[in-house]
Amino acid sequence: MADKTRDEDVAFIKALAELLRENDLTELHVKREYAESDWLNVRVARQIMAAPVAMQAAAAAPAAAPVSAAPAAATAETPEDPAQAPGAVTSPMVGTVYLQPEPNSAAFVSVGDKVKEGQTLLIVEAMKTMNQIPAPRSGTVKRILVEDGAPVEFGAPLMIIE
Amino acid sequence: MDDWPAGVGRRVLPETDSTMAEAARAAPTLAGPEWVLALNQTAGRGRRGRAWSMPAGNFAASLTMRPTGPVDQIALRSFTAALALRDALIAVGCAESALSLKWPNDVLLYGGKLAGILLESLGDGRSGASHLIIGFGVNLAEVPDAAALEPRAVAPVSLREVGVNVTPEAFLDALAPAFARHEASLATYGFGPTRTAWIAHAARLGEVITARLPGEEVTGTFTGVDGTGNLVLETSKGPRRIAAADIYF
Repeated sequence: MADKTRDEDVAFIKALAELLRENDLTELHVKREYAESDWLNVRVARQIMAAPVAMQAAAAAPAAAPVSAAPAAATAETPEDPAQAPGAVTSPMVGTVYLQPEPNSAAFVSVGDKVKEGQTLLIVEAMKTMNQIPAPRSGTVKRILVEDGAPVEFGAPLMIIE
Repeated sequence: MDDWPAGVGRRVLPETDSTMAEAARAAPTLAGPEWVLALNQTAGRGRRGRAWSMPAGNFAASLTMRPTGPVDQIALRSFTAALALRDALIAVGCAESALSLKWPNDVLLYGGKLAGILLESLGDGRSGASHLIIGFGVNLAEVPDAAALEPRAVAPVSLREVGVNVTPEAFLDALAPAFARHEASLATYGFGPTRTAWIAHAARLGEVITARLPGEEVTGTFTGVDGTGNLVLETSKGPRRIAAADIYF
């Protein structure tokens, strides 16, 4: 990616952060596709004091944490380790995550959905094999920790189901 | 040609939506592995929802099986499937020297795209994967319409173009025993012999190739496949092991 484009991306992310503060939002997620292999995937989030985020206790969130911005593949999740959460569903393999069965269809699940044991949560592709990752137990989708199309490592937390 | 493998079902349908969908519907009721062949598909599909066009006379079949071994080794069937397809092509009359493999499961005929292999595992929540469905699409008779091709796609080729004429049923009878043989090798000896055989037939070994990953492209010298099936590229920053990517020559 050319430097010029990178500067534009940074400016765009700054604008998003501004928007977040001005409108008192906690999270913004924008995915822009410029071409088939040229895309920007940004999640800008901030913590608001006393937000009742599960598993946040150890982090002792500061009153107004700085805005975190994650361009492209770099994922900036909240500082705690979601892999240690009791309801964490982790990746059984190295691969690429897909949150939808097909690129233009609805996601398998969304935050807040009730899921049954065995229900497909997402796909991890490894060596051209589409592995449907099932819910290990029934519960509610509390968090989705991965972006569509993101690479994941073995053991990486994918979702939290409680 | 080898006999049909013992204990494996064989179902031939005049038409279905897609053999992948049909296999998934049938999976819960199966007592053992089963091949389902369709002479026509009304909604054939490839990876990630890409349409798979199927002119008359081409091959579309899916194998449903219960994979054994750890869940992160299920994907090694990409390699056994590619080797089985190569063996079946040789059994029906393709010249060995015309065939080569592209990581992980493309079988090329004179460098052209002859076939597509699609693997999907179905999970049940406890054991990780209850079934693995492996779909094979082969241009036996015709190549798909040029308009259906994606940019940068490998040019398609059909068996008939190179003078090999085989029916879908006869091709299935070559493919099923070949797959059973490679699956038995994987189950008995692990990935070692499969890996060695795959590398022996790989295209562009030792040459510079490009892997397109989510959000980046990696170019390097293709040095082989590691013990877990990753593509290994030697780059200016050292070796890079790649688990998921599209490969471009």
